[in-house]
Amino acid sequence: MLTRLIIHFAYLLKTSSRYQITKKFAFNLLENPGSRLKRHFDLFMILLVMLSVFLLIYEINNPPIPYSEWFENIVVVVFIIEYISRGWLYSDSHKILIEHYERAQYLGIKFQLRKPLTTIFSSKLRYIFSPYAIIDLMAILPSYWPLRILRIFLVFRLFKLVRYSHSVKLFTEVLANKRFELFTLAMFIGFWLFISSTAIYMFENEPVGGQVRHLFDALYWSVVTMSTVGYGDITPQTPGGRIVALTLIIIGVGVLSFFTSIIVTAFTEKMEELRENRTFSEVENLDNFIIICGYGRVGQEVAKHMDKDKQAYVIIDSSEENFLLARRNNCLAIKNDASKNEVLLNAGINKGAKAVLCTTGNDVTNVYVTLTSRHLNPEIKIISRANRQENIKKLKQVGADFIVQPFEISGLLAAEYVGQPVASQAIFGIINEEKNILMETILVPENSDIENVKIKDINFEKRRLILIGIISNKKIHCKRNNRYKVKNRQFYFNPGEEFLLQAKDILVLLGRKYSIDYFKDQIERSSLVIK
Amino acid sequence: MRVKNIAVFGYNPMSFELIKCLDLEQHEVVIVDQGHENLITAADLGFTVIETDYRNDDNLEEVGIGRHIDVLFCFFEEDSNNLFLTISARAMDKKLEIISIVDDPESADKLLVAGANKIIDPYQICGRKIYQLIKNPDIADVLDHTIFGRHDLNTAEIEIPPDSPLENTNASQLQLNSRYNLILIAIVDKELGKELHFTIGEQDHKLDAGDILIVLGPSRQIRAFKKEVELQT
Repeated sequence: MLTRLIIHFAYLLKTSSRYQITKKFAFNLLENPGSRLKRHFDLFMILLVMLSVFLLIYEINNPPIPYSEWFENIVVVVFIIEYISRGWLYSDSHKILIEHYERAQYLGIKFQLRKPLTTIFSSKLRYIFSPYAIIDLMAILPSYWPLRILRIFLVFRLFKLVRYSHSVKLFTEVLANKRFELFTLAMFIGFWLFISSTAIYMFENEPVGGQVRHLFDALYWSVVTMSTVGYGDITPQTPGGRIVALTLIIIGVGVLSFFTSIIVTAFTEKMEELRENRTFSEVENLDNFIIICGYGRVGQEVAKHMDKDKQAYVIIDSSEENFLLARRNNCLAIKNDASKNEVLLNAGINKGAKAVLCTTGNDVTNVYVTLTSRHLNPEIKIISRANRQENIKKLKQVGADFIVQPFEISGLLAAEYVGQPVASQAIFGIINEEKNILMETILVPENSDIENVKIKDINFEKRRLILIGIISNKKIHCKRNNRYKVKNRQFYFNPGEEFLLQAKDILVLLGRKYSIDYFKDQIERSSLVIK
Repeated sequence: MRVKNIAVFGYNPMSFELIKCLDLEQHEVVIVDQGHENLITAADLGFTVIETDYRNDDNLEEVGIGRHIDVLFCFFEEDSNNLFLTISARAMDKKLEIISIVDDPESADKLLVAGANKIIDPYQICGRKIYQLIKNPDIADVLDHTIFGRHDLNTAEIEIPPDSPLENTNASQLQLNSRYNLILIAIVDKELGKELHFTIGEQDHKLDAGDILIVLGPSRQIRAFKKEVELQT
């Protein structure tokens, strides 16, 4: 009966949306590293810890402040709630229950409550014995009345800061990473301290005329000397003792520099990762951005245009040189191999990126990155650079939407220059947008002034524009000549005067930027007017 | 069209694409490189090749610079090599058309100073195109079809010969789009100098002999129009 009730309850929790929302909220508040809520909460907790410790220190020598008892109680309640909530978040008990129950159902055996309960219990126990949970508990326990003597342990609350401050967390991580080196060093120090303590005790004990009364004094002297602090309250008098001192000082200098170098290298190693993490978190805040794989000459050129148009982007390049260049240009950059799933995922291929550009000079890399991107995100737009003709097919095969060949375009332009120098100048002018002249498209909006209007009535010449053609997939136009298939639509070159514009048709115009912008503006305004 | 003698210095994927685009039946193309292996592949493909060191002026003369070569392409991968070649060639022949590619955008000005007529920055063009594909893929498509001539559409320049029927008419009277299915994009009006003017309705140009029209349209109609222009009265 009890078993059934518990199972019923577990299913109730699973289906209850309010429970899920509450849990999600708690997760965002306490554990989710990406949430803004957690950042505010951490700040609040840091303040709380600092205040409570400050109060403790203040009250050592001063009469208690009124309401301090209240404050202390509130702090403890907050800590307890936090401690319990974290335990609650640590594992989903109802899921474990349901899983066990369903397995029993499937196998047709009798469901026993004992098994899942032990699993749940052990997972919660794991939480209780995790280092952070122990710190949390130590921050709470000394406030319990019978343990008032342990009040001094309230200082342990400062350890709680580790949880909330990322930099402190990082420091402990760095130390943990260098466990092996630090352990070796500790063994080495212990060994020499033992030798020097016994030696100095032998040479400098009181019967001999020295100042070392017992072994603790010897150890004290050894540590003070080895750390190169050297208080001088105990000094060796005998030649033997002095030799010990000399050796120990030299060893001490070595040990110190070794220790420093371990910490420094650990931090430099970590620095890279830290910087990368910052890039990732910045990328997470972006939306509708573009991933550029390869910051060579082509990548730089694309980035320059994006800067101009304030389009957000992130660069992935595995070469140190390009990475540094990107940093210098104030770009978001990740120094890594873009063909790895993890790198692309971290760069946000599934979180707001709208296109991936493969712009490396190496076709093999481009193919690989294209394949990886397409595999990770079937929807995303992929534009890839191909340096050799034969690789176009491969790039298409692995899922590139557009392929650009830098050498082919330049070859075409160069060849054009030989035959028709002036025409090629015009082409250069258009593609480089010289003198503000460019080709642009304008969509015919619904209910606008130019819908259902004949070309001759628009008078492009007066607007200082040249109409090159119209892109459309409307059936009404399909009897016309001068049709060219462009993707799945038709491009009508030089449409005649009788061409009747339809909504959603796209005009392709050549002209100065401001004439085009002005025309666009007029059309858009007219479509807003209710007729 | 007159046969042009073209020398391409440097054999690599880029110059390969260039040679593919050049009309080999109309022009005499010779490939010059120092690397023996590069040239073997080029020779295998049936191109005329010369293996020589471009740093020596005598060798350049042997290739024909200063004599019959009309157009020189500097397609080495290193900017410094292209620059050196440009300077040497310009010193030998004042009239030579020199077209160079450039890797570092900073070198573009230097090459122009050294005497190159045209600089091509493949990476810049490629970067622009990629960005266009993101921003407005339609335009990229249309450009591909029209000015890059992927289909039947082409850009062409037409010089007005002396005594052409078009002489002394205005550009606006041409009515190219209704009469020939061509679009007039730009004009070089001799009276205004060598500069290119886009015909975006800012100014009407009177046509004289020697003016050049840049038109866009299907190749058949371009040929038809050319014939008409050259019709002697």
